[in-house]
Amino acid sequence: MTRGDKYLLAGLLLLSLVSFAALYSRFSPFSGSTKVTQAVISLQGNVIRKISLPLTGRSSFTVQGLVGSSTVEVEGERVRMQEAPCAGRICVNQGWIRHPGQSIACVPGEILIRIEGTTPLDGVTR
Amino acid sequence: MTRRTILPIAALLLIGGLALFQYSRRLQEYRSDQFLMDTLISITVYGKNQELLRKAVAAAYAEMRRIAELADGFPQPGTAAWRNSDICRINDQAGKAPVHVDNDTVAMLLLAQKYTRLSNGAFDVTVGPLMELWGFGGKNPHLPSPEQISEALKLVSSEDVIVNEQDRTVFLRRTGMKLDLGAVAKGYATEKAARILVQHGIDKALIDAGGNIRVIGRNSRNSPWQIGIKDPRKSDAIVAILPLVDTSAVTSADYYRAFEEQGKRYHHILNPRTGYPATHTISTTVITKDAGLADILSTVFFVLPADKSLELAATIPGVELFLVTADRLIRHSATLPGTIEVLKGETYRYDQR
Repeated sequence: MTRGDKYLLAGLLLLSLVSFAALYSRFSPFSGSTKVTQAVISLQGNVIRKISLPLTGRSSFTVQGLVGSSTVEVEGERVRMQEAPCAGRICVNQGWIRHPGQSIACVPGEILIRIEGTTPLDGVTR
Repeated sequence: MTRRTILPIAALLLIGGLALFQYSRRLQEYRSDQFLMDTLISITVYGKNQELLRKAVAAAYAEMRRIAELADGFPQPGTAAWRNSDICRINDQAGKAPVHVDNDTVAMLLLAQKYTRLSNGAFDVTVGPLMELWGFGGKNPHLPSPEQISEALKLVSSEDVIVNEQDRTVFLRRTGMKLDLGAVAKGYATEKAARILVQHGIDKALIDAGGNIRVIGRNSRNSPWQIGIKDPRKSDAIVAILPLVDTSAVTSADYYRAFEEQGKRYHHILNPRTGYPATHTISTTVITKDAGLADILSTVFFVLPADKSLELAATIPGVELFLVTADRLIRHSATLPGTIEVLKGETYRYDQR
């Protein structure tokens, strides 16, 4: 083996190690621990806004749903539907959510607020 | 390059190839949300091939939509949705003639009747006239007069639902009777969707149908799915964590579709024997393999007194019950796995019998 061969080998070894590391970290959807908690707001199945939690202070914004405009409020680590244009207001009555896996749905407006992140919970029955 | 160097290089290439192969076999997640049956249905599946996952989920939603249409009680007469709804057509012909229906409508009604009998009428799909009277499902629910309630109660009678399995017909014997599959269809559709996912080779999935949970296999970390039970009085809290594998968990509770009148709160789960909202319990969760059964039983146990519910649950194989009573006591079946974690906090007491 010449000196060049050794460099080549070392290079290939390094490359394969790096590719392993890359495959198992970046592309692994279940590495989980790097995932931050965020509130994901979607309209008719399309994500329209993501907010990293906790938020310093509070923030509210409107979402134009199918039946009118709804107001989403984020405060610290929790989120709620503050205002809704519908009569039932099930989403508003649901109050605050904060744990990953929890969600609030405005059915007539087709608006969904979900908290995503690392969690011991896969879902919540309610 | 000598022969001796080719060997290690070949070995490295092999390792690289294996890494790629491993990657292609890694679990992928596919998730979809759809608004259906008056709620949000989320399906999350795991597998090796995105395309197959997507197809399986699309097939599952198609099946749920089909069941939803059969059972929909709210479309306007004369519309296509009305003609597609077995329930609308059956109600329309109440007191007149039997109506030919889908296999799944027959199956839902037979399942419902079985548990109406078992619970002595604590659950009844003929509560339609009562639900309509209270206005649940509409925009303005309100408190009816006692006279109106006793009138509507006369039309609540599962014995007058004639299901003919051979001919696939359903007949409501009395004019004015109305079926309401609100406590049946969502769970039944969820179970059908789960079976379709399994038929498509899916072995890891979570269906969340507006809080009705059905899981297939284990979660992506290969552990039992960790499912929280919502705290019935505090929106951002949970009262327990259930580890679930290949089963379902369905909750009936008093915090949805409620209104206040004259300082009193009324919710939408009516006791078919009294015509008023059930008051013994504030939240019941049924854990059993079949999501359709879980949906029905969660309503049965919500209406019955807690003692009676726990007693009845113990007689049905494979059925477990978790409940929070109106006086804030947490109770559950003795057979619930020891791994259940109860978080009673300061609000509730916990009866660990």
